Amino acid sequence: MSAYACLFVPSFLAAAVERVEPALRERPLIVVTGTAPATRVVEVNAAARVLGVHPPMTEAEARARCSELTTRTCADEARAAAHLALLDAALAVSPRVEDAAPGIVHVDTSGLDRLFGDAASVGRRLVREARAVGFTATVGLAESRAAARVAARLGRAVTVVEGGRERETLAGASVMLLEPDADTTMTLARWGVRTVGELAALPRDGLVARLGAGGLRLHDLACGIDRAPFRTYTPPVFYQEAQGIDWEIETLDALAAVLTPALERLCARLAAGHLAADVLDVELRLVSGERHHRRVALAHPLGDPQALLTLVRLDLEAHPPNAAVVGVAVVAHPVRSVAGQGGLWHPTLPAIRELATVLTRLAALVGPEAVGAPQLIDSHRPDPATLTRFNPQVVSEDGGGRKSRMREIAGSLHERVSAGHGPPCPAASAPRPLTGVENTLALRRLRPPRAIDVTWESDAPSALEWNGARYRVMTAAGPWRISGEWWDVRGWARDEWDVALSDGTLCRITLDLRTGAWSLDGVYD
Amino acid sequence: MRIQSFVRAGEITEICGRLSSGRTSLLISALRRATRAGAAAALVDADDAFDALGAARAGVDLSRVLWVRCGRRRDLALRAVDLLARCPGFAVVAVDFGELAPRLSLSTAFRLRLAVRRSRVALVVLSSRRIAGAGAALAVETVQANVDWAGPARAVTRLTRLRARVSIVRARTSPVPSPIEMAWWCEVSDGRAARFA
Repeated sequence: MSAYACLFVPSFLAAAVERVEPALRERPLIVVTGTAPATRVVEVNAAARVLGVHPPMTEAEARARCSELTTRTCADEARAAAHLALLDAALAVSPRVEDAAPGIVHVDTSGLDRLFGDAASVGRRLVREARAVGFTATVGLAESRAAARVAARLGRAVTVVEGGRERETLAGASVMLLEPDADTTMTLARWGVRTVGELAALPRDGLVARLGAGGLRLHDLACGIDRAPFRTYTPPVFYQEAQGIDWEIETLDALAAVLTPALERLCARLAAGHLAADVLDVELRLVSGERHHRRVALAHPLGDPQALLTLVRLDLEAHPPNAAVVGVAVVAHPVRSVAGQGGLWHPTLPAIRELATVLTRLAALVGPEAVGAPQLIDSHRPDPATLTRFNPQVVSEDGGGRKSRMREIAGSLHERVSAGHGPPCPAASAPRPLTGVENTLALRRLRPPRAIDVTWESDAPSALEWNGARYRVMTAAGPWRISGEWWDVRGWARDEWDVALSDGTLCRITLDLRTGAWSLDGVYD
Repeated sequence: MRIQSFVRAGEITEICGRLSSGRTSLLISALRRATRAGAAAALVDADDAFDALGAARAGVDLSRVLWVRCGRRRDLALRAVDLLARCPGFAVVAVDFGELAPRLSLSTAFRLRLAVRRSRVALVVLSSRRIAGAGAALAVETVQANVDWAGPARAVTRLTRLRARVSIVRARTSPVPSPIEMAWWCEVSDGRAARFA
């Protein structure tokens, strides 16, 4: 009996899309990524491959070959759901499975012969389970995972490799089944190595000397040798606590009394797994037969039942059920809780319980999209900021904490300018603060930028009108021409000017080079 | 007189001044000092005027700043400050009212003063004029002193420095020191940096 099976779904992204839309199975389908006009094909189904469409051609090229193509984008949710479904299918056959890659699951088949029969029967069972969750899969069975993986790609529904005959059975398979990278593929083609057997016959030391660690991995695969340990996949635990009620509850206080033990049990389970709740789903069964569902998105991961109860109460006060309650269920979405202890000399941070309550109240006050920690987007776009979850971490023992990438960029930029790579700058030659980025002049941004009228004179702004008032421009520095994302509809191109107005105000004004409109971007303060 | 002497735990500090007087730069310096020390800070932004990129360049650890954007709603900003002032653990809670500072009744100011005294939070109020009255332990006024530009006088190329006179106009517990002059440097922005690359 072979020890391992490999459950393989060819063209997994396309299969994930077909699983959601079964009608697409018979039609040529391409899965694309990127934004137009630079969209590229990342996966195709069998019908499209027959027509000569293959990755990584552009969508335009693909459409030139077949105008009947159906295009879908690569949705992360569908892909993740499909992958979990494939793992579930494998778990229906064996309790020990390994999540190898998207669309590839290794299954430990030791002892399954007493349940399903010989190796081919186990393989057929796996194919049937995969079909039940919407996939057309192939299965390879062998003594090692590497050999099973190659066998699964041979194209037959079930391929069984006898023990000790791996090299003979797989020798004729194309070397491309081992998924070498582009450079290695070209090298192997130059060497004339086309099959797995030819690769396995190459001297191992010479292969490592020429191809490095990647060559070693390929040789192991070709010889059917497993080096990595089997990493068993454990399905995520479902954290739910429910409570039936023998009488009808109509007040929030009484409901809180029922919710408290349910939340305490839930938090005890989370604590046992060193987890905290990120999102809490509360489902109330009503006497009318309906269900009142509320999702409490926690601003901070919590494992404290009292704090959770407070937040649930606040939410139910704002969105009460429309009938008496006869049953409650709470489901927590667990996240790994961060353990840490502040140093003796480090400043204290807000207590998690109080912080979560304050963040929830602030979110209710100004909206959840308006509360959080500022986060810089990796873009040259003006005002590249967004909000992310506020979750200050304890400073590490070296006292440095995490150094943000933008601060590093700012530091390197400053060093570059200070080192004299910038334009001649008499005032900049004056002594500067030692720490460099300290004492940086702040800009007060106007969101959205205000439209202004600018009078132009001698290649520079001479006056501007804003809010019905006219200001004379005393000094103007610029233009600083910036542009970006010209390949996209969200591209921008503009000239920036720093101007001093007659009343002493220092402004940043911008000219949109695409529309010709002037706007007030911000005020230095 | 340094930045740390402006911001005191358990007390209210007011920073007032007109536009381009350096008041926001002074506030950013306070946020920078708090976050670099590993503490958490909160900024209630009534005008939605906070420049995150500039703050990061100034050395503020953005992951330690709670930014509350109030969309020009002064009443929401006041209620947000009321919540944050009672939450111990924040080293600095700053509220930026910008040009249109709301009326702050004496009772509200004293309620905030009691709240920050209990929570040991340093509350910094930034506006164009003083609004906390006797509730503030310290009031700082910034006045623009000079602006430096790079390049020849008739064809300047870059704004380089803003110099401001910072004076304490009210100090409840200590004698009022003489004004000092502070300078803030204009960094090249992200897109402008491309010219230096």
